[in-house]
Amino acid sequence: MALFASPRRRAIGGPPWIRAVLILVALAFLALFLVLPLVAVFREALRDGIGAYLEAIKDPDAVSAIKLTLLTAAIAVPLNIVFGVSAAWAITKFDFKGKNLLITLIDLPFSVSPVVSGLIYVLLFGAQGWLGPWLETHDIQIIFAVPGIVLATIFVTFPFVARELIPLMAEQGRDDEEAALSLGASGWQTFWRVTVPNIRWGLLYGVLLCNARAMGEFGAVSVVSGHIRGETNTMPLHVEILYNEYNFAASFAVASLLALLALVTLVLKSALEWRYGYHGSNTGH
Amino acid sequence: MSITLSGITKRFGDFVALDNVSLEARPGEFLALLGPSGSGKTTLLRIMAGLDFPDIGSVSFNGNDITDRPVADRAVGFVFQHYALFRHMTVAGNVGFGLSVKPRRERPSKAEIRRRVDELLELVQLKHLGGRYPSQLSGGQRQRVALARALAVEPRILLLDEPFGALDAKVRKDLRRWLRELHERMGLTSIFVTHDQEEALELADRVVVMDHGRIEQVAVPVEVYDKPASAFVFDFVGESNRLPVTVSGGKVLFGTIALEGIAPEIADGPGQLFFRPHDARLTDPGAGVPASVSLVRPRSGAARIEAHVDGLDLPLELDVAADQAPTPGEMIHVQPTRAKLFPADQPIASGQD
Repeated sequence: MALFASPRRRAIGGPPWIRAVLILVALAFLALFLVLPLVAVFREALRDGIGAYLEAIKDPDAVSAIKLTLLTAAIAVPLNIVFGVSAAWAITKFDFKGKNLLITLIDLPFSVSPVVSGLIYVLLFGAQGWLGPWLETHDIQIIFAVPGIVLATIFVTFPFVARELIPLMAEQGRDDEEAALSLGASGWQTFWRVTVPNIRWGLLYGVLLCNARAMGEFGAVSVVSGHIRGETNTMPLHVEILYNEYNFAASFAVASLLALLALVTLVLKSALEWRYGYHGSNTGH
Repeated sequence: MSITLSGITKRFGDFVALDNVSLEARPGEFLALLGPSGSGKTTLLRIMAGLDFPDIGSVSFNGNDITDRPVADRAVGFVFQHYALFRHMTVAGNVGFGLSVKPRRERPSKAEIRRRVDELLELVQLKHLGGRYPSQLSGGQRQRVALARALAVEPRILLLDEPFGALDAKVRKDLRRWLRELHERMGLTSIFVTHDQEEALELADRVVVMDHGRIEQVAVPVEVYDKPASAFVFDFVGESNRLPVTVSGGKVLFGTIALEGIAPEIADGPGQLFFRPHDARLTDPGAGVPASVSLVRPRSGAARIEAHVDGLDLPLELDVAADQAPTPGEMIHVQPTRAKLFPADQPIASGQD
């Protein structure tokens, strides 16, 4: 194989057989842990034929889970765009006390177990929680209802956009914004006509990752959801319920939708990187 | 338009960037802010623009106090060191930006904006490049786009931060001349920041020499060169030699050798004597500073000599007529013909003590 024998690269890669072994190990690892399960998901989903597959997806409980998942993402992602852009803007364009604390706090959802994230909301809003009695007297249901699911999802996904934008905006500095202001632009015009175009690909990348996680989140949502069929079940939770009922074909059918989402995200992400030479590798995630 | 700065002080944390600076730029003047990095020259420029604000002191344009007004209200053109062109806009989009963000009732029509952009691109000699993106331009072209963009909003004041810093020598020289012409043609008041003394002396009407957040001297280029106000200015602007001397009883002594013809302008005690390479002659033994020649190089119509003096780290640099040039290894005696004395404790630019 020409790749392994290329003499120009031998100096860096060591003997050709080492290169071959390393590449094979990486490929085998990917096949075993990523490709195989993915194939299995679709295989299981279609085991009873395309009819059963469509049947499982058209089931009212499944449709309700899909709708809830879309609703949750539709609320969480825009809010996290606003939060992420504001946080990245504040951190990279201003100097203020507590900046490092803010950066650390943004990373918190990554370092905390999702189950703990869910429990925090139960502690806050649950019947025995701090705000429980007050919520009860005002007839507001958060835990075991849609608001709880949305809150938990927002918490778990808020680092994605901010984390993507902070290094990008730090690298770009303030010159462009200052130039726009010196030309008479207002803050609003500067933001929409200079800042947003400068960060658009990084932003889109962050939104993609944020969305994938918002739709796929299990742990935190599982704690606050209450698993009420047709009401508080998101797609990942619905997959689990069906699986626990030994309804494998239906379970894998819904799971295949999530897998498809992952594949679409991956393709879009690669397309973005290829088309605009934007690399997410400098962001740490 | 005149610019008046009075008593400007600016701190960044514990660092004093500007320390009670006052300065006036006259209408139509081309002013250079010259100093080493960290001297506060860029901060001063940004305060004039309204991109930074002073802790103490005031800024006026034509006598109107505009200290608290933001950059958008000041109608200044600002050219950034790295140009800060909008990378997602074409050259024409960049140049037209200032016009396109005007409030609706003041905003020219699209056709009018296009016409003005063409005019400006013609002015900066880039008429054919309107459709390109900044990344497709050379450094000198980007610089001119940045200028055209700043001029589009018809500022009366043009502020430039290290305008030629990122360009190679040839382009730099052409752009300098061109910028000077532009300044005169448009009747601007222009101020530029530079650390390059040659650039400041060649281009500016007056040069403001800065060090450690203070103004050392404000003068026309000839005066800055010939009559430096401090040891720092003498050292920083132009080539110079520095001799540690003692002033005693109306005499200037280097060791035990009395240097003739130099006015003892400072109080008795230690001093530092500065002179330019061309302001010295070779004398007979017994007078002047003894030095041994280490290097002789031809220069146009003269010879540049480097000569070591016992007890000094840096060699003296001297220009003498080519036919009087000594040979390397020879002992010479150097008599400054025109020199300036400063007290020994005055700071200098280079770390050569």
